[in-house]
Amino acid sequence: MMKYSKNELLIDVQGVSLTYDKQILRDINFKIHNIVRPDVNQGQVISLIGRSGIGKTQLFKILAGLIQPTTGIVNIGLDQHPVVAGEVGIVAQNYILFNHRTVQENLRLAMKHSSNTQTSEEKDKLIQEYAEKFDLSEHLKKYPMQLSGGQRQRVSIIQQVLTGNRFILLDEPFSGLDALMIDRVMDLLLRVSTLHELNTLVIISHDVENSLAISDTAFILAREKGKEQECATITETLDLIEMGFAWNPKIREDQAFQHLVSQIKHKI
Amino acid sequence: MDILKQIFSPLTHIKGRTLVILIIIQTVVALLLWEIFGANGLIPTPLKIIKAVVTIVTTEFFIDNFFSSLGLTLTGMGLSIVIALVVSYLSLIPVFTPLARFIVKCRYLTLTGLIFLFTLITQDGHQLKLSLLIFGIVPFFVTSLLSIIESINIQEYELCKTLRMNNWQTLLEVVIIGRLDQVFEVMRQNFAIAWMMITMVEGLSMSEGGLGTMLIKSNKYIDLSTVFAILVIIFALGIFFDYLLKNMRYWLFPYTKIHVRK
Repeated sequence: MMKYSKNELLIDVQGVSLTYDKQILRDINFKIHNIVRPDVNQGQVISLIGRSGIGKTQLFKILAGLIQPTTGIVNIGLDQHPVVAGEVGIVAQNYILFNHRTVQENLRLAMKHSSNTQTSEEKDKLIQEYAEKFDLSEHLKKYPMQLSGGQRQRVSIIQQVLTGNRFILLDEPFSGLDALMIDRVMDLLLRVSTLHELNTLVIISHDVENSLAISDTAFILAREKGKEQECATITETLDLIEMGFAWNPKIREDQAFQHLVSQIKHKI
Repeated sequence: MDILKQIFSPLTHIKGRTLVILIIIQTVVALLLWEIFGANGLIPTPLKIIKAVVTIVTTEFFIDNFFSSLGLTLTGMGLSIVIALVVSYLSLIPVFTPLARFIVKCRYLTLTGLIFLFTLITQDGHQLKLSLLIFGIVPFFVTSLLSIIESINIQEYELCKTLRMNNWQTLLEVVIIGRLDQVFEVMRQNFAIAWMMITMVEGLSMSEGGLGTMLIKSNKYIDLSTVFAILVIIFALGIFFDYLLKNMRYWLFPYTKIHVRK
């Protein structure tokens, strides 16, 4: 077992529920702690797994501070203050970018309104560094419409990293990607998570296998057994570190892991 | 044979060159048929019209009339787009929404019934023409601009929030800067309405001349060759300005070319 400890509370979701015409989410509770490992900037990768139409996107928006829950609260950060829109980055499923701006301008915009006090030259240098790190150097002058889906996703993620946000939510990051691209995205997400000790990625997905393979903790969002007509809530929490499935790039080849994937698929 | 099959098959994409050839062939055939079968009719044949076009464009008063119409159209368009943009952007502030909605409905108001009112309000013929032109164009501009604003994906606003922009910065980035290319496209599409209306409003005050005045005078004397020649000139100028505005859009907003190719 690798050495690690769970320290400060980073995200605390308390009793969140959401009702429009009918109740969509009920009594959502979970906590995310800072995971510390020796000699590694070990960020956190958390998955919220649920089937389509269960209310994942609504929970996504609540966690990002874009909509207010009917009841409950989401606290974030070391000082545990209520989340405000802008403090949590979001990478939408369709990788929204400003189509009227080049990739470089999109990335510059990420730092324009942040608390970043660097000069324009320093900001451009930082963009260049990230672009090199994530194979985007030759695309900086292009417009988003000229990029492939994978490239757009990378720009979208880097844009959110450049805002200085430590929390980034990703909506279905594996959706519509082939096997090779999924491996690349997983590699990218792991690199982003290890850029800073407090970086916390929350993946919201229906893709059980890939979400579990990349995460240290997973929450299952489903309707409770015997109450199929009711709204969704967190039905199970998986501590993948304790289970020995976290931080292993070849975990998908593990029999026990595949057994867990199969079990979870039946539960959602 | 393949090309023949393609041009009669629905949803087939044909190359630009093929399209140009198709347009040329169809135009030539239509003009030939008109020339052959229209020789004894009331409507002048293409050759007579072309002769009349040459006569008109070589007269010294044509340039004056042309610039009079163009000046009026461009002034009307310029003022209309400014008014329409202000109204459309203000429509995002709840207190101004009813005003924008009312202006959109003004498309159904006929100008003819309002000429007397505008004559009372304005000082001279030029102002009368200009104000009628603006009153005629603005509702169409506002309708198109509001439709652009309404079609903006909510995720763009959410992205602005995650980039820590306030509501004013979001308005500037997404609605104003982000949609400038589409505003230009609306301007191009509505230029046709302005160009069409110019002949009507010029008929109300003929002292300044203009292509509309020329058209009305020729109509009065049933000089059909000249009437059709002026129509051809107005049509050709309209197509030229449409082409010009389209290419200006590509030049000013290079990313719009990418959308077109897709």
